[in-house]
Amino acid sequence: MTVLSHRRASRHVLNRLVAEAPLEAATLTDDHRRSLSARFRAVSSDRHRRLDAWMVERAGAPSGPFRWSPAAARRTLGNAALRRRLLDPALSSVAAVDEEVSEHLLRVLEGRARSGSLANFLAQSAPSTLGLIGAEAAAWATELAEAADALTFPWSVATSDAFYDVATARTTLRGRRDLIVSRDDQRVVLRVRAGAPGKSAGPGLRADLTIDALADPAGVAAARIIGLWPEAGVVLSIDGTIEDLRAGARDLVRTAVAQQRERLAHAA
Amino acid sequence: MTSLLAASPASVLEAMRGERRVRPFADTTAAAGLRATLEDAIFELLGATLLDAPFVLRASSLRRGEQIDTPSTSPLARVRGILIVQALRLMSVGFAVEHAFDEALIAWRAEVGANELTASIDHLTDEDAALLRSEVEAHCVTLKRSLGPIPTHWMPRTSQRAHQRLAGGNVVLRDVVDLMVGTTTSERASVALLDVTTSTLDEGEERAMRYHALVQTLRTGVVPLRTSAFSTATGELWSCDVDGELLTRSVADLLEVLRSKVAPS
Repeated sequence: MTVLSHRRASRHVLNRLVAEAPLEAATLTDDHRRSLSARFRAVSSDRHRRLDAWMVERAGAPSGPFRWSPAAARRTLGNAALRRRLLDPALSSVAAVDEEVSEHLLRVLEGRARSGSLANFLAQSAPSTLGLIGAEAAAWATELAEAADALTFPWSVATSDAFYDVATARTTLRGRRDLIVSRDDQRVVLRVRAGAPGKSAGPGLRADLTIDALADPAGVAAARIIGLWPEAGVVLSIDGTIEDLRAGARDLVRTAVAQQRERLAHAA
Repeated sequence: MTSLLAASPASVLEAMRGERRVRPFADTTAAAGLRATLEDAIFELLGATLLDAPFVLRASSLRRGEQIDTPSTSPLARVRGILIVQALRLMSVGFAVEHAFDEALIAWRAEVGANELTASIDHLTDEDAALLRSEVEAHCVTLKRSLGPIPTHWMPRTSQRAHQRLAGGNVVLRDVVDLMVGTTTSERASVALLDVTTSTLDEGEERAMRYHALVQTLRTGVVPLRTSAFSTATGELWSCDVDGELLTRSVADLLEVLRSKVAPS
């Protein structure tokens, strides 16, 4: 059974949640990976499947096609800006975002950006849209820095989300992660989301925990995953136990089934 | 304490942040008490039953009756307000706003895509379009002149959203603060909130200022230093220090609006 802890955001809540995380984290073995692969293979799909926590929360219900917007770009740019600020603490969030945007634009100029990428979106945006993107990303970076400021444990900004290709099942899982907090030889993952957590926020968080463990080469789960919703001032957390990892995997497979049913119903 | 400055200040931001050495220690304990007061009062009003649809309260609920279609809530006035906030967002990252209407409109369209309100601009008569353009440009001139440059080390954040559920979700407080500077992590209170309006300032705006402070306190658990409102119509700035009395008044404002919604006269 999942133990989902719900706290009000306060200055030291993140630090307490990291400090109180279990001392031992679960590990996924090759048998677990093979079993997951078999379950996904059993859900037929005519195309490559991509699943994430958002789809789990929506029970596989289809959402519109992705398009870049200032809100969609803020997390990528904001996290990258915070990484820059860690290297150069004198840098403000606004300046760090500016540098990040400039680097993306340079990539386009040098022909190193693929179509549909963030870099291309930035290159095609009007100057005032770039200004708005900068405002969104700087606000994200500042919120994230404020959350991290209260941590007494070493932390870093995740270099990317967690990705895991399920072997021979044409399925890619994507787990969101924003900050990685180190405690002794373990890690605690922090994920930040806009809005307020809904009823399915727990399963979503659990899916991210599972994908993060699958993406770890040794299969070691995070001691705890923490979901922060700054707009709502709410923090949820789930421990990295084997039961939670199993439940997270089941949710992902169920989502694939629901998606497949939806597709078949749509085709009929 | 509410201070009213008759003349447009040299810099709105400087007036908002005040002097560093006289800032009080950040209050991290008031939020729990305010939440408990609200929860108790809402329980008395609504009971324990979970409603099908929650009562959603916004700053606009406190400004005026939401159903009243006053000139300031007409579509043209709403667009004007939205575009001025977009201009503020651009200024917050050091973007030099030269053609306020065009630049704010492009940014707004990029943010929200196509909707009824953005489409309404395309269908304006030439006269209305010219009026909107000239109004936005004029309001933006007042904003630029009064706001002054926003130092990036003050950590400016624009359109800060908040979403607070009370009474098991029966009441939802939603809020958007136009500009927020300062941090909740410092020992001294440093967060200043600014609401920019294209209308004149009135009693309703004062309630909205208090509401911003209350929701921000509930959201972060830290009482902000100051809450302010700036009118681009008159160049006036109202600014209040946030203290226990102001927050208690905001709780009372909120419960009054909720009572009127629960039992409309």
